[in-house]
Amino acid sequence: MELQFEQVSKNYKDKKVLKGISLTMGTGVYGLLGPNGAGKTTMIRILADVLRPGQGRVLYDGRDIHAMGDEYRAKIGYLPQDVSFYGDFTGKDYLEYAAALKGMDKSMARKRIEELAYVVGLQKDLGRKCAAYSGGMQRRLGIAQALLDSPEILILDEPTSGLDPYERIKFRNIISAYAKDRLVLLSTHIVSDVEHIAAQIMMMEYGVIPYTLTSAEYIKKMDGCVWLVKMPAQQLVEYQNQAVISNVIAKGDHMEVRVIDESKPAREAVQAVPTLEDAYLYIFNYLPGKKRR
Amino acid sequence: MSLFYFELRKLLFHKKTSLLLLCLFALYSVIGFTSTIFLIGSNDSYRAYEKMAAVYEGSFDSEKAAEAERIYNEVSARYGTDSRMIARSVKDQPEIILAVNYYAYAQRVEEYWNGTPPESAEEPYGIALLKSKLTELESQGKQDTFAYGELSDALQCLTELGEPAFANILLWENLFNNWGEHMMQFLLFVPLAFIIAPVFAVERSSGMDNLILSSRHGRKKIVTTKLLSVLVASTVVVTLYLAATFLFGFLPHKSLHGWNAAIQSIPTYARSMFPFKAWQLALVGAAWLLFTGAVYSLIVSFISSRMKSQMGTAGISLVLLFVNVGLAAMGDTVLQKIQPLVDFGLANVTLIKEVFGAHKLFDVFGVSISYPVMAVFVLTSVAGLAVFGIYRGQRSRTAA
Repeated sequence: MELQFEQVSKNYKDKKVLKGISLTMGTGVYGLLGPNGAGKTTMIRILADVLRPGQGRVLYDGRDIHAMGDEYRAKIGYLPQDVSFYGDFTGKDYLEYAAALKGMDKSMARKRIEELAYVVGLQKDLGRKCAAYSGGMQRRLGIAQALLDSPEILILDEPTSGLDPYERIKFRNIISAYAKDRLVLLSTHIVSDVEHIAAQIMMMEYGVIPYTLTSAEYIKKMDGCVWLVKMPAQQLVEYQNQAVISNVIAKGDHMEVRVIDESKPAREAVQAVPTLEDAYLYIFNYLPGKKRR
Repeated sequence: MSLFYFELRKLLFHKKTSLLLLCLFALYSVIGFTSTIFLIGSNDSYRAYEKMAAVYEGSFDSEKAAEAERIYNEVSARYGTDSRMIARSVKDQPEIILAVNYYAYAQRVEEYWNGTPPESAEEPYGIALLKSKLTELESQGKQDTFAYGELSDALQCLTELGEPAFANILLWENLFNNWGEHMMQFLLFVPLAFIIAPVFAVERSSGMDNLILSSRHGRKKIVTTKLLSVLVASTVVVTLYLAATFLFGFLPHKSLHGWNAAIQSIPTYARSMFPFKAWQLALVGAAWLLFTGAVYSLIVSFISSRMKSQMGTAGISLVLLFVNVGLAAMGDTVLQKIQPLVDFGLANVTLIKEVFGAHKLFDVFGVSISYPVMAVFVLTSVAGLAVFGIYRGQRSRTAA
């Protein structure tokens, strides 16, 4: 199975949100990283067929997904950025409604709902009104909905927002296990969501995807660009306006500042082991010839 | 559960709508009850009327007509000439109500034979007038014209129907007033607009569009199930209205008297050319309201499919209804210019008295077509366009 973006562009009035994106995805987990307003949600919506590209097309095994229509949508599971509910629906109603929309057999749907409720930890809450759910519970319900008919393509937009650390780890494990023989596209601005599970990570900004690499490749790219600098707290205030800082730790009477820079930022600076988060900051804030955010 | 079950539940079977339906049923029942009580007063009065009317029922009697005219003149001097106003003013006096009704009947018999005055702006009616109009057209050699055909058809129908007979149709007249007056449009179509308005708009306002549009059945099947649920909802509301006004219109007097009388006995339907009995008109009228209710609901659904707000949808749907009612109330000179709009506008086409209460033919490429048939064609076409627009819109709809 192969999904291909072919010169996909999208404008909202005069604003260019996607600028001729071309990429190919196979099975596995794909992370889509980028700051807010980068165009991630627009790209995800086009893939979920709830939005049409202005130019270009998306192909599933060489066929235009728009032309495939129902056949394509039967293959996808989609968790939108904002999960919405009808006021009087319980969690069970919501999942049964989603199953009906996906054309699932009733008995199969019931069985699957029970399974997924257990997986996302909502087995005791399915009888409650969705409106009474906490943000995390609503998110978990949304994840269960997306997984209902075990779709071939799973599209998740900010799936972990509102989840606590335990739920986040649990979610990552679910997705990792699920992604075998399937395509999972996970859009987020939280680096740790994709760091360990994504086979390929796409960095997106201003409607383009300049890099699609593995986590290791990104980290390798950062060799010699991450530094630890010690400085007094008073100096930090001024320094942080001039440098890309990925972390600050107070250590006694001074601060240990983690700086992203291609050259040694200070005489006493020592090199540190890079992480994906460093790469994220490097790409979006410190590319040559690019304005800092 | 099936998609249809959920769509029906979203539209009809939830707390707010159930409460609204309950209130509507109560309101319709009150309207049925009060209208029948205002007709004649107590149950005893109605029983007395029924007994007295039994003597008068049947073909025209000039002696009884003369006596009725005498009583009518006395009463009208005191209460005015409007028969309904008289009936309301002389409650619990069945003999007077009977005289007023018989006097009105005598006038209808006169009209049946001699017709409307030649200078009248109304459609030509009456055996003598129709014959004279036909002779006039024949003398001008216009036997092949649409007007000749229409008049000749009217004369044939009128001759076949025969002279109207007097019948006690008090309760049926009340029922048809409830089913066929402008008040019905407000009682029935206004709630319908509010109930149907969310059908598509709610998906946008709730943000559920994302889930629906990305799902397998979110583009076609969901439209079918939504439209089916709209038709069910419309049928439920109209049935509530029909059932409540029927039950509470007849129940207080525990009588269905007049069920087999010709509809020409009912003043509003005196000029109808349809050979219906009262019970047959009730069935046709009920079917007509169900049909027109469904068409209006589909129009509201179309508006809903283009809107983000439920209140906006209801607002536009009501404006559409009120504009139609306004057009139908325009003066004669305006009406002549916009006659097709008025004939097939919601205000007229939803009223059974307009569609079945007179003789109206349309010249469609030389073929004479009756008003009900044309109305069915026009309304079905409008409904078809609305449905087509909804399917097409959902196919290309995107999440906001």
